Amino acid sequence: MRKPLRNISRVLLLVGFAGLPLTLAVGHEGHHVQCNGTTINAVKADIQAMGEGEARTTASSELQAAQEMMTKNDIEGCKSHIHSAMEATEK
Amino acid sequence: MLLAAAVVAIYAGLYNIAADVPHTQPVYWLLDTIRHRSVVTRARDIVVPNDLDDANRISKGAGQYAEMCSGCHLAPGMKRTEISQGLYPRAPELRRGTDLTPAEQFWIVKHGLKMTGMPAWGVTHDDELLWDVVAFVRNLPELTPDQYEALVKNAPKHEELMKDMEMGGDDNHTGKNGHE
Repeated sequence: MRKPLRNISRVLLLVGFAGLPLTLAVGHEGHHVQCNGTTINAVKADIQAMGEGEARTTASSELQAAQEMMTKNDIEGCKSHIHSAMEATEK
Repeated sequence: MLLAAAVVAIYAGLYNIAADVPHTQPVYWLLDTIRHRSVVTRARDIVVPNDLDDANRISKGAGQYAEMCSGCHLAPGMKRTEISQGLYPRAPELRRGTDLTPAEQFWIVKHGLKMTGMPAWGVTHDDELLWDVVAFVRNLPELTPDQYEALVKNAPKHEELMKDMEMGGDDNHTGKNGHE
C-alpha cells in the first residue's frame, strides 16, 4: 500500500518540476522583448511621454545601455536592458 | 539661406513622419510646448462647473470613458492595447493622473489635438456630456480595478446618454453649468 503511494508522490513531484520552467516562462511573457530598432523606438516613444522623475531617468539609462549592447551585438544583454527600461516606463 | 535649406529638406521628404520613429528630443519638446501653450491659452476663460464631484456625473462619465477613451488612455487593471502601443505621441495613461486643470481637460476633450490621434468629441457630444467625462477622469487615479469595473458596469449606457442628448437632455443637461 505504501509503495504505490510513494510512486504517486514521485510522479506528482516530477510533473510539478517539469511544469516549473513553463510557469516561469509564462510569468515573463508580460514583456515579449526583442532587440531591434522597432522595439527601441517604441520604448523611446514611451519615455518621451513620461513625466520627469526617477522612473524616466532609469528608463532612459536602461535604453541607452540596450543600444550600446545592440551595437556590440550582445543581443541577450540588449534584451535584458530593454526589459528593464520597459519596466521603468510602467512605474 | 537657412530658409532655402528648410524648403529643400521639406520637399525632399527628409523628415521621417512615421509613427514608429520618435521625434528627436528638440522636435518633441517644440511640438509638446506648442500644444501645451495652445491648450492653456484657449482654456483660460472656460467656466468650470462646480459639481464635478457629483456621483451622477462621475457615473455618466465612467460609461462614456469606457466606450470612447479607454482604448487609447487605458484604465485601472487594463493591459496596454494595440492602439495605445502604436499611437505617437503616446496617449497619456489617465489613471496615472495629470497636471492639467479641469478646464484644460475639457478643452482637449471637446476640440481634440491635431496630429495626436485625439478626436474632437465636441463635434458629436454636448458640453454637459463632456464635463461628465472630465469629472470621471479627475477621479480615475483613485480607482482600483474593481472599483473601475463596478462604476462602468453600473453607468448609464453610452447610447442612452446620446439619445438623451439628442432629445434635449434631462435635469443635468440644462446647460446652466460652465461652458466656453
